[in-house]
Amino acid sequence: MTTEELQAINVDKSVDARGTACPGPLLAAKKAIGEITSGQIMEVLSADEGTKKDIPKWATKKGHEYLGTVEDSGYYKIYMKKG
Amino acid sequence: MAKMTVGLSTSSIDKLTSVGVILSGAAADDMEVDLFVLVNAGHAFLKNKAENISAMSEDIQTSEEFKASLEKVSSPSWLEFFEMAKELTEVKIHICSLAGKIAGGEKMEDFIDIVDDICGIGEYIESIQNTDINIFI
Repeated sequence: MTTEELQAINVDKSVDARGTACPGPLLAAKKAIGEITSGQIMEVLSADEGTKKDIPKWATKKGHEYLGTVEDSGYYKIYMKKG
Repeated sequence: MAKMTVGLSTSSIDKLTSVGVILSGAAADDMEVDLFVLVNAGHAFLKNKAENISAMSEDIQTSEEFKASLEKVSSPSWLEFFEMAKELTEVKIHICSLAGKIAGGEKMEDFIDIVDDICGIGEYIESIQNTDINIFI
């Protein structure tokens, strides 16, 4: 998806993990994905560089669809659709 | 479910924290984890001692500096990492009876709640013979 498409997306779940270092955002994503149903969209907000790579790989490995990452001022918004 | 076996032989706070981070990654990946507390690691799992662990494996930082570094980046403590991993995936923590005795603990009530059982070395050997990933720290 393009940055514009991602920015316009309606998310079903937003996880703000900007206050935590690795592996905090990954664990937050793992917990939160269990709270939505298949086909719903989740965004994870993180300021951690390692997480920017970790969460897309984790999402794909776990059967979810990684939609893309948008960089905001000092943090990332990582989008995925639950599989 | 892939399985990881961890042999933990130290009660130093930096290595306990490393194991906590690894457990978190394993939990996110839905792995089954068998963690064996060996030799000197028993101290960290004793009641009244677990939250006050201050030994460091290297002198690059003092334990106070290390704890401050973790707090600065809002990182959980080693014990919180272990507890979170147990909540998220199947993590079993086994105290080797020798490790328990070295630390002064012989019965389950001597150890903190995250401990699952006290075992002999045979269980550790059996676990590493039947695991996907074997880590010794």
